[in-house]
Amino acid sequence: MIQKTVIQISDVSFSYPGKQALFTNISITLKKGCFYLINGPSGGGKSSLLRLINRLEDPTRGQILFNGNPIASYHPPLLRRHILYIQQTPSVIDGRIRENLLLPFTFISNKDLAKPNDKRLLTLLKNFRLDGIRLDDHAQNLSVGQLQRLCFIRGLLLSPELILLDEPTSALDDESSRIVESKAEELCLTSDKTVLVISHRKFKPEKIVPKLLHVANGRVKEREWNPV
Amino acid sequence: MESSIIDIGLGQLALGLLFILIAGSASLYHSLKLEKDLLTGTARTFAQLFLLGYILKFLFKIEDYSLVLSIFTFMILFAAWTIYGRVKEKQISFFLPVFFSMMLSFFFISFIVTAVIVGVKPWWKPQYFIPLGGMIIGNSMNAIAIALERLLKELRTKRYEIEMKLCLGADYKEASHETLKNAMRAGMIPSINAMMAVGIVFIPGMMTGQILAGADPMIAIRYQIVIMVMIVGATALGTLFAVLLVRNRCFSKGHQLLLRPGNR
Repeated sequence: MIQKTVIQISDVSFSYPGKQALFTNISITLKKGCFYLINGPSGGGKSSLLRLINRLEDPTRGQILFNGNPIASYHPPLLRRHILYIQQTPSVIDGRIRENLLLPFTFISNKDLAKPNDKRLLTLLKNFRLDGIRLDDHAQNLSVGQLQRLCFIRGLLLSPELILLDEPTSALDDESSRIVESKAEELCLTSDKTVLVISHRKFKPEKIVPKLLHVANGRVKEREWNPV
Repeated sequence: MESSIIDIGLGQLALGLLFILIAGSASLYHSLKLEKDLLTGTARTFAQLFLLGYILKFLFKIEDYSLVLSIFTFMILFAAWTIYGRVKEKQISFFLPVFFSMMLSFFFISFIVTAVIVGVKPWWKPQYFIPLGGMIIGNSMNAIAIALERLLKELRTKRYEIEMKLCLGADYKEASHETLKNAMRAGMIPSINAMMAVGIVFIPGMMTGQILAGADPMIAIRYQIVIMVMIVGATALGTLFAVLLVRNRCFSKGHQLLLRPGNR
């Protein structure tokens, strides 16, 4: 079966203003329904690669295509809804859990999406082992690990096609990490989503064979997955 | 009530310097090392105000509206430059947006005050237009500077939160709405507080001046009320335009936050 290309990065170079080049002429193809693990040294550009894909940054040269069209041709808020990037440091607004989960639905570009009801939200919280939490609790009172899961759930409510996870388990204990990792795998398996995960941890997917992207020295190399 | 002002002679003015001597002695006695500053301050007060007096005498004779408006524009240019120097920001250039917002809002308010409220004929009569304009510019300049400082600072410190919203499908206006509100509030609160305290905590300088010049206190307070509401109006308009235009410059067309942390 030929897998559809979701993201095509062609000859992309990138540098932050006034800084040395982070990427020089990188080209990668991301396929629909595939699971990518990204590794590489700190400061090597792993997060910047994700930021380029959801257009939080623009390449200094080259082009990125999403479903065959340049990402610059999409309305940025809509593009980011389809290519969801979840930051490493979980960020919430000053408010209750419900307000935080429904935050995306207050934005104009998401007005066409059906707002989930409390029942659905509670089920999702339970699925991520956050069942002790009430929707009326204040988000600020959650631990970093709980916030990380909350932000993951909030993103999934947008039904993105492509999910970019920046160290989603950095603040989680082993058990919670396993839940998040297995959810990420499920997204790929059951919903045919493309998932990219930056992970320092020894992340060993159990249900799927991931592809490995090694980001270092201004290059991105696709490598074979070696679980050892 | 006395109708004309008592003139202060040069000798009497010199006598006023005794107050500076008192301050100077205190500085010497307590080794505050403020004598030099006191001396320069006094000299500058004399020189600057005498110069201003001569300039105003000259200005009030002007009968050409284009010249009056040029002076008004120059004053705003200088105020925009002052803000530009005060708000330390290197990544984005905001001089022109600030200048245009000040020009638009301050001209509008000054025009309404002289032409409609006070009813000066012609509306640009320099004796009214320049001092009123000056009061607007001076007060609102601080408000705009405070608002911009707050805006740029918060866009940096709340970068994570703003980008989180962008990632969830917010446009740049939605993502920075809270920051915009906070900046506007920070800019406007001082002039609103001044309205609360006026007449109880302090007697405004302009009103004092009018009363000393022989004006009826009831007329002086009316002028003062106009000045206060005028400043609040100009502050609100000027701050709003400036903050909106500068925020625009902080984001790219791709709804990306351009301000980088720690790179001011």
